Amino acid sequence: MGQRVRSEQGKPSSPRSDYVIEATDIVKRFGHVQALSGASLQVRPGEVLALVGDNGAGKSTLTKIICGALTPDSGRLAFWGETTTVTSIRHAQELGVETVYQDLALAPDLSVAENMFLGREPLTRGIFAGWPPSLDRKKMRQAARQAIAAAGISTLNSVDRAVRDLSGGQRQAIAVARAVMWATTAILMDEPTAALGTKQTDIVYESIRSAAARGLAVVVISHDIPKMLSLADRIAVMRQGRTVSNLPARDLTLTDVVTLMLGGHARGEAA
Amino acid sequence: MSRAAQSAPDAPPAHPGALAAALRSTPVGMAVIVVALIVLFGVLSPNGAFFRVSNLSTITLNVSVTMLLAVGITYVLAAGELDLSIGSNVVLSAVIAAEVLVSLSGTPEQVRAGEYPNLALGVVAGTIAAILAGTLFGLVNGLLVTRLRINSFIVTLGTMGIGTGLAYVASNGVNVPNVPRSLQTGFGIEKLFGVIPYPMMVVLIISAVLWYMLRRTRFGLYTLAIGSSRDAAERAGIRSRRHILVLFVMMGALAGAAAMLDLTRFATTNIGGHQTTALAAIAAVVIGGTSLFGGRATIAGSMVASLIPVILGTGLVILGVPSFYQLIVVGAILIAAVFIDQRRRERLSS
Ligand SMILES: Nc1ncnc2c1ncn2[C@@H]1O[C@H](COP(=O)(O)OP(=O)(O)OP(=O)(O)O)[C@@H](O)[C@H]1O
Ligand SMILES: [Mg+2]
Repeated sequence: MGQRVRSEQGKPSSPRSDYVIEATDIVKRFGHVQALSGASLQVRPGEVLALVGDNGAGKSTLTKIICGALTPDSGRLAFWGETTTVTSIRHAQELGVETVYQDLALAPDLSVAENMFLGREPLTRGIFAGWPPSLDRKKMRQAARQAIAAAGISTLNSVDRAVRDLSGGQRQAIAVARAVMWATTAILMDEPTAALGTKQTDIVYESIRSAAARGLAVVVISHDIPKMLSLADRIAVMRQGRTVSNLPARDLTLTDVVTLMLGGHARGEAA
Repeated sequence: MSRAAQSAPDAPPAHPGALAAALRSTPVGMAVIVVALIVLFGVLSPNGAFFRVSNLSTITLNVSVTMLLAVGITYVLAAGELDLSIGSNVVLSAVIAAEVLVSLSGTPEQVRAGEYPNLALGVVAGTIAAILAGTLFGLVNGLLVTRLRINSFIVTLGTMGIGTGLAYVASNGVNVPNVPRSLQTGFGIEKLFGVIPYPMMVVLIISAVLWYMLRRTRFGLYTLAIGSSRDAAERAGIRSRRHILVLFVMMGALAGAAAMLDLTRFATTNIGGHQTTALAAIAAVVIGGTSLFGGRATIAGSMVASLIPVILGTGLVILGVPSFYQLIVVGAILIAAVFIDQRRRERLSS
């Protein structure tokens, strides 16, 4: 599982677009709730895109549609310029897209190593002509240990510990490390630092930058706008189910972003 | 029970805490209780009657069906589901198996005279019928749970009644007559080396396979993952509904196998029996350390703990205490075990 091998896996040999992910006019409703009413988002490889907006603006819903956890009612989704109907989370994973969910999606009774490999466990061949194939726990432990060390989670002494026994911050760090370990195209992070202390937060931000440096597209949802202004390359603002702007972070100030979130226009943006 | 103790075979080399961890693990704790009970009844029983090999192998024989069902239902509980219908599945499958077996073993006249010219054919067909019937029963449970999305407690409470009713319909309310006694003498109460009953051998082999599956394969890991957090499992790409369907089918097949073992053990279909079998099996599993809420499971714990009700029952009988006290004890133990499991869970997630 060399990282170099994986980092090219999701990308076709001749991409048709500069954008890794392109979501256009996505609509999604839950019964009477119109969660998304024409949301769009584009992100390039190696770019960190911050997705900001008020509570209930539709940020989580939009990322869930991109990662295959929800199907949109209408709209177009393209990876590397190729229009794709993402049929399942597994499908998105095959496209190289990994997600850190707002609720983390870890199985509390399973160990750290088991969680990091869930759904993609390495197998060893059994003794009867390769049968029965069994879990390669040694490999799982080793790779999990490496990924955790790379993510700078120093407080976790064993990858055999059940996730239930970990602190909220450790769990969040595990979820992030899992996504970083598997992503080959893009990582979607829904408030990845919500439960973290300052030091852990910095580590997550660092892993976001280094994932981007590896050529991955990173979409980060966060309410920490000042931090996003310095971390992200671009800022997309959502309001009431729509993306109202997608601008380079360096052209924006905190006031601009807040104004956009609340319904005004940024300086320099055409009215 | 700590995770480290649970995955002991794969754990890194033993450290000083390993022994302490092993003692704290539920299967080992259960084994200690089982040995203590055996010693207790042995000492209390007249002339140490309880200790006799014949008595101990009777216990093994009596426990085999419960143990098989306990091991099977460990998977169902591990995934956070429940199956209360296993006792009635055993009865229905035994009735169907007995009818197939008797009707294929000879003509009605021959069978009535106690002659079974085609016994081998009858036994093979009967075994297949038992397992098919059990599997079908499990499939119905699984489809109701996963397609109609009805809670498995309710589904299997319903099919428990339906299964018993069908067994009475199929047998006209009486045990299928003329089941060959040679089932019993040739297999059901026959012992390997005069010690281990054949049915127990079958149970041990199946349990070993299921133990391996739970600990070492994707199938086992996915079962635990679904029970631990269905959302997390689904988001990892595991198809939880299909998996749960398979678990109910598997449970059904095991109930079918248990039905055949029961038939060879008693040479009769036992239609009035097995009313408390599901309770005993679930009690054993929870006492053994598997969580009723899913996510944590131990086959070894289920196997050892399934001995407890039988040892209690046999011991009480030898001491001259009426055997129905066993029901009371098992019920009380189940409630206590669930309470402990709940406490453990609250403590862990706080
Ligand atoms: N499964 C669901 N069923 C019904 N309504 C939903 C569901 N998921 C989201 N919604 C609704 O859709 C809207 C958008 O929700 P979403 O979770 O995408 O917002 P968000 O921008 O992520 O908010 P937050 O910052 O609070 O996480 C909200 O009004 C929410 O109540
Ligand atoms: Mg959200």
